[in-house]
Amino acid sequence: MMPAALKGSAIKPKLEWPTVAVSVKSVNMVYDGVHAVRSASFDLETGKFLTILGPSGSGKTTLLRLIAGFQRPTSGEIFINGAAVSAVPPHKRSIGMVFQKLALFPHMTAAENVAFPLKMRRSDARAIPARVERYLDMVRLGGYGTRRVHELSGGQQQRVAIARALVFEPDLLLLDEPLAALDRKLREEMQLEFRRIQRELGVTTINVTHDQREALVVSDEIIVMDGGQIQQKARPSETYRTPSNAFVANFIGVTNFLDAPDGERRAIRAEKIRIAPTRNGLVGADTIVEGIVADAIFEGERVVYEVRVASLGDTLLRVFDHDPSAHSQLEPGSAVYLGWTAGDVLEFKP
Amino acid sequence: MRVSKSAYPLTWRIMDALEAFAAFVWPARFGRAIPWMMLAPALLLVGLLVLGLWQIGDVSLRTLDTSTFLMSEAYTLANYQRAFTESLFAVVAWRSLAGSLIVTVVTLTLAFPYAYVMVRTSSPTIRKLLLIALFLPFFIGQVVRAYGWLIILGNQGMVNEALGLVGIAPIRLLYNYWAVLFGLVQYMLPFAVLMLAPALTAIPEELEAAAGSLGADWARTFRHIVLPLARPGLVGAGLVVMTLSLTDFAMPAILGGGSQDFIANAIYDQFFRTSDQGLGSTLALLLVAAGSMLVGLVFTLFGAGTLAMGRARR
Ligand SMILES: Nc1ncnc2c1ncn2[C@@H]1O[C@H](COP(=O)(O)OP(=O)(O)O)[C@@H](O)[C@H]1O
Ligand SMILES: [Mg+2]
Repeated sequence: MMPAALKGSAIKPKLEWPTVAVSVKSVNMVYDGVHAVRSASFDLETGKFLTILGPSGSGKTTLLRLIAGFQRPTSGEIFINGAAVSAVPPHKRSIGMVFQKLALFPHMTAAENVAFPLKMRRSDARAIPARVERYLDMVRLGGYGTRRVHELSGGQQQRVAIARALVFEPDLLLLDEPLAALDRKLREEMQLEFRRIQRELGVTTINVTHDQREALVVSDEIIVMDGGQIQQKARPSETYRTPSNAFVANFIGVTNFLDAPDGERRAIRAEKIRIAPTRNGLVGADTIVEGIVADAIFEGERVVYEVRVASLGDTLLRVFDHDPSAHSQLEPGSAVYLGWTAGDVLEFKP
Repeated sequence: MRVSKSAYPLTWRIMDALEAFAAFVWPARFGRAIPWMMLAPALLLVGLLVLGLWQIGDVSLRTLDTSTFLMSEAYTLANYQRAFTESLFAVVAWRSLAGSLIVTVVTLTLAFPYAYVMVRTSSPTIRKLLLIALFLPFFIGQVVRAYGWLIILGNQGMVNEALGLVGIAPIRLLYNYWAVLFGLVQYMLPFAVLMLAPALTAIPEELEAAAGSLGADWARTFRHIVLPLARPGLVGAGLVVMTLSLTDFAMPAILGGGSQDFIANAIYDQFFRTSDQGLGSTLALLLVAAGSMLVGLVFTLFGAGTLAMGRARR
């Protein structure tokens, strides 16, 4: 279905061929001494929205800059639409990038910023104004074209940056934490905006973030990175349900680790633990332990309990209770029972 | 409340005493005067300058009596008439003006890449070397440097000796216009680089990367992004280089050998050779006027905002 904003326009949603748009093969990047990316390999299908998720310093930006062509990998090769691109400078790749600090040109208006890639790519000069207007409309900035960059709010600047990165219909859109600086409400709004635009245009997108919620909400696929290494590449639900290792389990969601004596690490999500004042409240649980409530945090739609469990070496287990009305809120210091089923326990080989 | 010694160390007590003393000599209600106090030295200096100009203006309206070597009592515009009609002064004025313009253009052209590399290089070693090369000449005064060029460029100088080795007859490199301009460019380069560097530092490197990803090669990135954003720095550096060159004395005197006088040399001659203070003052005032008009012109062309003054830019 054609989105309203694009009706009658020359922009056609790209068909989703199951072809590989980006292929990263054993890429390493070493800055004098710092191994920022370690033998990274992955394929990304055309039209997909991929998020690279990882803590600060895990090599996300470096990986993105390698794909954009601002840096050359120390070893390995990157293929875009099947062609090796290591020797291709950024301005000859068809990549739109939205930078962490947006990198809008301060001496130009919003429309001039959006027109810049068209001028640089020698589009037909007569067609440029209409096209700029169309893309400003698409990011809901119709009529703001004559504003200078500093006359726009943070969210509006964000939209200008997106329009500028997309107006020349690049093969690939790269987003380097462009939402990190926004307040939470605006950020969540913009996440959905990104997703909407990406769906409308069908442009293959790689988004970088350290925000697990954003990764889960917007992506077709998530790559989790740590220490320059790809930890897991999977669909959001898969990443959440079956994290491939302890790092991923810990980074996404709230996870309690129950270390077993044989060195194998076992873990259980906070929302998979049931809590009750009596054993009878936990029928069906495979494992039941006794504990003392250390803290109870009321968060509106749920209560977060921290429970000290003596039988597990005095570990503090975090438990989400999404139905606090079922039993009166348990006060700190009160004795409770925790239970879970064996199927919910995650196991990681050491 | 008694406080134990360890909890309230001696240094804090000293600070308290100092603060009490400061409050005594400068009570808080004087606070409003502080901005004016800070302006005072500048106002004093500008005041002295205006007084001096007044004095020079007065002398410029009197002619020299060649029989008594005294300045005339009556006011006359004769000096101004001479300054505007005698071809010697027109030649000198034209030479200085054209020279300062050429020096400005050449200096900015050379300084820009230097400053750019210094700001953008990822190698600390290169940056340090460039900085040292920039600051070393500052410790060698203008006159000494000009004499250095005499030694290097003279008829028996190093350059001509080197040329002799490959069989080229000595060339007269000194005492012409180009020697003066060369000396001036070499002298102005560090000033220009120092004024350009902060302006270039203020341009986020990411803007250049962004331009690249949007399809601009380095030449177009330079033309459309770096150059426009560096304009305040270019205007500032250009102004400094132009006014310093226009009013320069040492380079024309030493590298021009008397044949390539700039306005300042002509003024010097009037004051100290012919002792015609009247004409000297006239020329000095005209130089001030020309310089001010040049600065005014630059400001009207590019706007004072280009010096990052006025409305703040994010
Ligand atoms: N230009 C650079 N020179 C040297 N080290 C760098 C450079 N850029 C990044 N690094 C290092 O590489 C690692 C990964 O950085 P980066 O890719 O920026 O991580 P992220 O974007 O995930 O926060 C960090 O340890 C960082 O210090
Ligand atoms: Mg980063």
